Amino acid sequence: MKGTNLGELEELIMLTVGSLFDEAYGVAVMDELLEKTGRNLNISAVHAVLRRLEEKGLLSSRMGGSTNSRGGRRKRLFTLTKAGKEVLDQTIAIRTSLYNSIPDLTFNFSI
Amino acid sequence: MKHPDPPYWADRFLRWYCNPKFLEEIEGDIYELFDRRVESKGQRTAKIKFIWDVLRFFRWSNIKKSNSKYSTMKGTLLFKNYLKLGIRNIRKNLVTSSINIFGLAIAIAFAITTFIFVDMQLNMDKFHSKGDRIYQITNFMDQDGEDRRWGDSPLLLGPKIAADHPTVESFARIEYTSANVKAGADVFDELVTFVDPTFLEMFDYPMIYGNQQVLYDKNKMVLSKEMAIKYFRNDDPIGKELSIKFSNGTIKRFTVGAVLDEFPYNAGLRESLCIPIENFFDVTDEQNYDWSYLTDATFILMKEGESITSIADSYPEYIELQHGSNPEWNIKSFDPMPLYELSLRSWEMVGSVSGGGHPGGRIALMVISAFLLGMACFNFMNISVVSATKRLKEIALRKVMGGIKKQIVNQFLIENTLQCLFALVFGTLVAYFLLIPGFDYLVPQMELEMRSSEPESMVIFFVALLLGVGLISGAYPAFYISRFEPIAIFRGNQKFGSKNLFSKIMLGLQFFLAVITIVGSFIISDQFMYLSDKDWGYDPTGSFSVYVNGQEQNEQMRNEMISNPMVQTYAASNYLIGRGIPLRSLEYDNRQIRVRLIGVSEDYFETFQLRLKDGRFLTDQALDQQSGVVVNEKFVREMGWEEDPINKTFVYDSVRRTVVGVIHDFHYYDFYSDIDPLIIHGLGESRVRYFSMRTNGEDVFELEQDAKTAWQKVAPNDPFDRVFQEDAFDNFYADNSTNITIMMVITGIAILLACLGLYGLLSFNVQGKLKEFSVRKVLGATPKTLAKVASKQYSIIILISFILGAPLGVLSMQQLIDSIFSENQKGLSAGPFIISIALILITMIITVTGQVRKAIKINPAEVLRNE
Repeated sequence: MKGTNLGELEELIMLTVGSLFDEAYGVAVMDELLEKTGRNLNISAVHAVLRRLEEKGLLSSRMGGSTNSRGGRRKRLFTLTKAGKEVLDQTIAIRTSLYNSIPDLTFNFSI
Repeated sequence: MKHPDPPYWADRFLRWYCNPKFLEEIEGDIYELFDRRVESKGQRTAKIKFIWDVLRFFRWSNIKKSNSKYSTMKGTLLFKNYLKLGIRNIRKNLVTSSINIFGLAIAIAFAITTFIFVDMQLNMDKFHSKGDRIYQITNFMDQDGEDRRWGDSPLLLGPKIAADHPTVESFARIEYTSANVKAGADVFDELVTFVDPTFLEMFDYPMIYGNQQVLYDKNKMVLSKEMAIKYFRNDDPIGKELSIKFSNGTIKRFTVGAVLDEFPYNAGLRESLCIPIENFFDVTDEQNYDWSYLTDATFILMKEGESITSIADSYPEYIELQHGSNPEWNIKSFDPMPLYELSLRSWEMVGSVSGGGHPGGRIALMVISAFLLGMACFNFMNISVVSATKRLKEIALRKVMGGIKKQIVNQFLIENTLQCLFALVFGTLVAYFLLIPGFDYLVPQMELEMRSSEPESMVIFFVALLLGVGLISGAYPAFYISRFEPIAIFRGNQKFGSKNLFSKIMLGLQFFLAVITIVGSFIISDQFMYLSDKDWGYDPTGSFSVYVNGQEQNEQMRNEMISNPMVQTYAASNYLIGRGIPLRSLEYDNRQIRVRLIGVSEDYFETFQLRLKDGRFLTDQALDQQSGVVVNEKFVREMGWEEDPINKTFVYDSVRRTVVGVIHDFHYYDFYSDIDPLIIHGLGESRVRYFSMRTNGEDVFELEQDAKTAWQKVAPNDPFDRVFQEDAFDNFYADNSTNITIMMVITGIAILLACLGLYGLLSFNVQGKLKEFSVRKVLGATPKTLAKVASKQYSIIILISFILGAPLGVLSMQQLIDSIFSENQKGLSAGPFIISIALILITMIITVTGQVRKAIKINPAEVLRNE
């Protein structure tokens, strides 16, 4: 089903949006990603992913209030939708379960 | 501190492309980033990054797409409205619209014809699929210190190249000879082509019957469709035999092995009767088969992916080989010429095997059609602008009702393109039914038809023509008119129309181009007419020659004709004036001099009425026949013997020759070619080919009948081939009168276009000034004054354009004439100017009269009445 599989960048951005809660707009997401993961993305890439996730119904957006910075332009603020939260939960659950099924042997092996 | 702004143009670009739905957030984010970067990294970096961001946002999902339902509907509705109004406008102003459309259509028709003509010339020989790998090996020979490119090349060159270079796939030579072909009871004098068997493999001529390997059989021949019909009429030619009698008397029989289909229209190389070159070695002397013999053309086919430069290293070796065997004709260098360029550049070459004209004609046609199109466009612009005066209120109303400038521009562009479309359709019809058949009639050998090398190029040309002409002629009116303020229009303040400088400049330009064209074509016509009346330097009237094969036939013929009372004088010669006299090279004083040689018997000078300048004519006495020569003035000049040419001597063909007489220069070929130094020597041992007679001008046809009867007794197996000397220049005269006709047509079109423009403008002008004329009339103006007022401003414009245009026309035409005729120029005379001024004036007066009469005849009461 469309939208249930997340790409790696999509997942990261959804997590960021979730963590920024109500302050998630393009530049903020970009900054947060840089800070937390060290990935320097171009703002246009962030916008593209955000819009794609919104089209998939995983994020919703609204225009924020007007501010004095940015030449008075409003921000588009993103939040996780219920579906988005579920997909995120699912993804994380799958990862955790897979991770847990790795036998300890594997870790010793490399040492 | 002033806050720095991001680069303005980048922001504009963003706003231009960006979908308005996303603009705010995108702009907001990159502005925020910009501000931050100014603080942290400085203005410069921030600006560069800003531009980078704008560019990065330029992606499909962000780009403005006007796909909302609402806007499409509005667009089509308006478009329909424009179309409807456009058609209504054409109907309302039927006269001016037809002038517009008609003028443009004529110019377009001419442009289409030119396109087809040029397209054909540029695509000669393109149908040969291996053509991009075929080259003709041409060479440069030094003559009189001038390098000339020759198409001829050593007979042994082709095989040698193919043997030396693995990069060469094959070679094919072409060698022409004239021979008698006997089919059934008929005998024809034909140009027979010896070719290598590879010829048909190298070139892809479409075939009706046979395969490409047929010439590997030494006794097979290949005929063109035309020849097959000529020899066998409706019979199946395959397997039939023809016998060919070569010039040395050998008779060989050949079986028809293949028949070529009609040559594609762009075939530059057309061999109509080919036989394997093996036969050439049988019918010619053994000594010719070495490096000294030059064959008419050598083509080589490179292997796929190989460059022609790979054989360049061997040229010096070949040159040495050639020098060793033929010290008289020294090849200086070889140069391969690609097949596709062959007919375009055949004029550069002496003895080209391919057809193809001088590029001058092509360029002149293109320039002229550009001029005509330009004139028609100016015409169009002018009339469009002026006719918009009547529609100012419509424009104002559109604006008031919320129409924006862009829509008005679109409206006018669409209307103009619509008119152009009509013109295009009409012009295509004119080209198809009138111009191209006309051209084809005038120049039948061109086989001009509505077609192009590739269908796409024709489509592209038409679309380009439509858009180009539509935009060029519609853009100015559209942008000009859409600028007006509605308020000014409604108050009647908009100054526009008659006083418009622009329309005057346009009219001026139009006449300027017309004058260049008209003066130019009169000058060149003048030159052509001068040539058609020019003295040939001898008297062709009453001279009549029969082709004879050798001394024996000549004597028999003479015995038959000698008692005929109509024959005044007769003579024999090896070549004929007007039918080509071969070029030879003469070494004198360590110089190579290009001379033409003709061998004659005693009464030749009488028979052709050549004019003696100095000394005496040749006689049949042994000394004269062995070593006496008569030369022309050019020869004397070339040798530097102006002082006293008589009894000067030179060596040619290892015989010391003595000049016994000098004749005036005469034109032995046509006026396009220069007169070369000419030597007339005694016939001696050379082969007699022509028996010439002279009679009264009136008797010449009767004499022909007698000669024919005599010929049938002398040589029933050979064709009766006779030349009326007056006809020898027929081709030239036909060409010449074709040129004059084409020039006249062009002049006619140019004048027509200029007058259409003048008429359209004037009729609007008179229309707009009816009140002024009425008032003048009421106050007592005479018709003369009115006429003067109506036409004064135009006379000045036309005068100025004449003063500017005439010298330019002269200059450009003189260049063309210089490039075609290096000699035989008429020089400038007042004639062309007077004629063109008169022509322009007369047509202008005719054009103006109708309108002026309208101005004179108005009833002031009607015009001035205010309801």
